[in-house]
Amino acid sequence: MKCLQLIIGPAGSGKSTYCSVMFDHFQSLHRPLEIVNLDPAAETFNYTPSVDIRDLISVDDVLEDEDIIMGPNGGLVFCMEYISKNMEWIHDQLTDGDDAYVMVDCPGQIELYSHLPIMKEIVTTFKSWDYNVCTLFMIDAHFVLEPEKLIAGALTALSSMISLETSAVNVLTKMDQLPRESKKEVEDMLESDCSQLVNGVNDEPWNERHAALSRAIASVLDDYSMFKMVALDNTDEESIEDLLLMIDTTIQYGEDAEVHDRIPKEVDPNEE
Amino acid sequence: MAESTASSSKQVPSEMPSSPLAGSSDGPNPDLAPSVIVLGMAGSGKTSFVQRLTAHLHAKKTPPYVVNLDPAVPYPVNIDIRDTVKYKQVMTEYGLGPNGAILTSLNLFCTRFDKVIELVRARSSTVPLTIIDTPGQIEAFTWSASGTIITEALASSHPTVVIYVCDSARATSPATFMSNMLYACSILYRTKLPFFVVFNKADIVRPTFAQRWMTDFERFDEALEDSRGGYSNDLARSLSLVLDEFYCGLKTVICSALTGEGMDEVLTAIDECKQQYRDQYIPLYAEMRAKKVEETAKRLREDAKMGDLTSEVKALDVGRVRDSDDENE
Ligand SMILES: Nc1nc2c(ncn2[C@@H]2O[C@H](COP(=O)(O)OP(=O)(O)OP(=O)(O)O)[C@@H](O)[C@H]2O)c(=O)[nH]1
Ligand SMILES: Nc1nc2c(ncn2[C@@H]2O[C@H](COP(=O)(O)OP(=O)(O)OP(=O)(O)O)[C@@H](O)[C@H]2O)c(=O)[nH]1
Ligand SMILES: [Mg+2]
Ligand SMILES: [Mg+2]
Repeated sequence: MKCLQLIIGPAGSGKSTYCSVMFDHFQSLHRPLEIVNLDPAAETFNYTPSVDIRDLISVDDVLEDEDIIMGPNGGLVFCMEYISKNMEWIHDQLTDGDDAYVMVDCPGQIELYSHLPIMKEIVTTFKSWDYNVCTLFMIDAHFVLEPEKLIAGALTALSSMISLETSAVNVLTKMDQLPRESKKEVEDMLESDCSQLVNGVNDEPWNERHAALSRAIASVLDDYSMFKMVALDNTDEESIEDLLLMIDTTIQYGEDAEVHDRIPKEVDPNEE
Repeated sequence: MAESTASSSKQVPSEMPSSPLAGSSDGPNPDLAPSVIVLGMAGSGKTSFVQRLTAHLHAKKTPPYVVNLDPAVPYPVNIDIRDTVKYKQVMTEYGLGPNGAILTSLNLFCTRFDKVIELVRARSSTVPLTIIDTPGQIEAFTWSASGTIITEALASSHPTVVIYVCDSARATSPATFMSNMLYACSILYRTKLPFFVVFNKADIVRPTFAQRWMTDFERFDEALEDSRGGYSNDLARSLSLVLDEFYCGLKTVICSALTGEGMDEVLTAIDECKQQYRDQYIPLYAEMRAKKVEETAKRLREDAKMGDLTSEVKALDVGRVRDSDDENE
């Protein structure tokens, strides 16, 4: 079965770093992995891409041509539209065998997911080549150290994912950088039910005013365990393994996202 | 004027960033003119909206104070990030792409934000409000350390309001509408500040569809189902219930930056938010925010990457923050 991880998230959230960590991890496992750099504005990254979209088109090319008409965002949208119409260029460079495993390092701009049909089209094309797609939304753990911020992170992820219609995993990155207490707090938050978290926040006027909304959000996040968040400490081999296992399971079950909205909470470690 | 007596030498900060609270050491003052942070997705019309609101206030003979935080766009305002940080230079000298350069420029500007707060506070008895335009790439502000520092530094100084500009013409499909509203809701949770949504570009598409969806959950659900070829998605349906709750407490204003429709309603909404800041935010937040700003600033200083930036600050000789009127004095 062909598998594909779509790596998305805000600028600087750690998408490219995640890809390079997985690149090394797959190598140590002797598992084949192909990485596609889909960010036409990418600078550098520490993995060897099998496909680099900048060989096809880069934002710099576009900006040099049309500096005056387009800001950086216009340039990116132009590139992404061009890419979505030239997907065969990518296809030709993939091995595309039955056991192909692909990671796609995407640009961060939210508009590509929420306003424009571009990313959805790209995902649909991958699906049409029989890839099972799982979206990974990267969130910098520094920004979600309190329950309200964690909710904000989940909502941001949902706003991108709702239009992609794939299975999904949220990854909290840069856990290795957090001070020990913060790390513990984040891990505790991830272990408890969201509803518990929301009930636990203090009774500031803001929280009281938004109590009903917070409860509603929490109940959705609890019901759909597909939106469970996973913390990744990429200096810890075990943390990397756990995450990969979870994603592999999700991709497998994610064949039909409609049926598998609810992912079983228990992952059988022998199932590979 | 107060700001013209400020140091005119181009000092280089010794560390990243100097405490953004320096300008507001006397704590939050709910009587000062509010600062309005204008957020929205790329191309939603933030800049046009800021310009229209500015023109509207000029016409009333109560001109606002305007701050531009978008390093990529030139534009006549009172304080412009571009006077302090040269975006193109950041890009070329540090081999950064457009996104990295925006983030870095904001970080660099952040080191001087105490000065911005000082200028804004000095003006707040003579202007009705301060309007702040943000970079096109929304997450450069909403998901960055500098965006957090700037927001919290403002909120711990004086009334601060967040406006989310939504492009009505691009929200006509139920999925994009939902995506936009989820993002708006996430900003509410991130900032916890008084907040309202502006449906802009009403001259292109009347946002009455949005109002219908916001008041009638069933109707939105039907539209969503139709748009997905009649098959429904459990998650999307549950989320529309969540959003229903979000809309209950949400202020919205229909406007057009092109025709000027809705500007008085925007001003009314800002006034309501200012009151909300006084009632709900002042009592408990002042202390907490001050503590958090310090923590975030500390993290930024400790961040290895930011360590590198300290040398970038020196190499680039980041300009001082200046009020554009300074030159005319
Ligand atoms: N310590 C640590 N640093 C990280 C981690 N992930 C990312 N970083 C750092 O965070 C910065 C941004 O990481 P990238 O991987 O380039 O982020 P990105 O999401 O690809 O960024 P864009 O492509 O610009 O949108 C880099 O300086 C990384 O070294 C992590 O897990 N641990
Ligand atoms: N018809 C109409 N067009 C508008 C309106 N507001 C903005 N526009 C147009 O929308 C486009 C984007 O507007 P900007 O004000 O640059 O939007 P922005 O959000 O500041 O854009 P970035 O900073 O690049 O993200 C421009 O072509 C504007 O002329 C409006 O109310 N009506
Ligand atoms: Mg990257
Ligand atoms: Mg703009």
